[in-house]
Amino acid sequence: MLRSHFLNMALFALLVSVFFAFLTQTRGRDRVRVMLVMGGAMIVLSLIVAYVMYPFPLPR
Amino acid sequence: MTETAPELPADPPARARVSPLAPCVLAWIVPGLGHAWLGRRGRGAAFFTVVVATFVLGIASGGASTVIDRQQPLSYLAIVDNLALGPLDFVARRLTIGELVYRLPDPEADPRRHEILARVRDRVRIPTYEYGSTFLLTAGLMNILLILDAFDIASGRKD
Repeated sequence: MLRSHFLNMALFALLVSVFFAFLTQTRGRDRVRVMLVMGGAMIVLSLIVAYVMYPFPLPR
Repeated sequence: MTETAPELPADPPARARVSPLAPCVLAWIVPGLGHAWLGRRGRGAAFFTVVVATFVLGIASGGASTVIDRQQPLSYLAIVDNLALGPLDFVARRLTIGELVYRLPDPEADPRRHEILARVRDRVRIPTYEYGSTFLLTAGLMNILLILDAFDIASGRKD
């Protein structure tokens, strides 16, 4: 069972970006570009949002 | 000066004559099979791998299938999404809830309602339950897009 939140997020980004790369592009180079841009953007933006949320923890 | 006759439009490609129903049904039964049936075997194999991997990760991460609860209107949308996975949804329900159940029994006093809720609560206690359920819902959404894509290809709207 996958317990790591980061690993889950990274796998999610990978799978979704591969899916959309094959769905929207037909050439291999374009697919790789979409995979890298979409997957990278999902991971980087998630980390940025996580750090922005860091000063605002949930009330206990 | 002689004028050349305007070019007649080419015959529609063979795929435009294919009934879109068959690839849609095949895509619902097995993710990617609709594309493979339309001659896109590489894409079909890639889609099958991605959707099944997303589904397996959803189960492995502690996700659970949705059951219709009248108190939660969004559960109706979620169950449509689950059903888009075709036979994989039956497997998911067996593995996560333990039986093929789609709706919570209505009366609060019904013991079956409490049994089902207890099984769902067991999954909710898993730390990555939210990820798992998101993976399962995403696999369903992917298959909806695949069914629509197979329809577009079969009707000649897309290569």
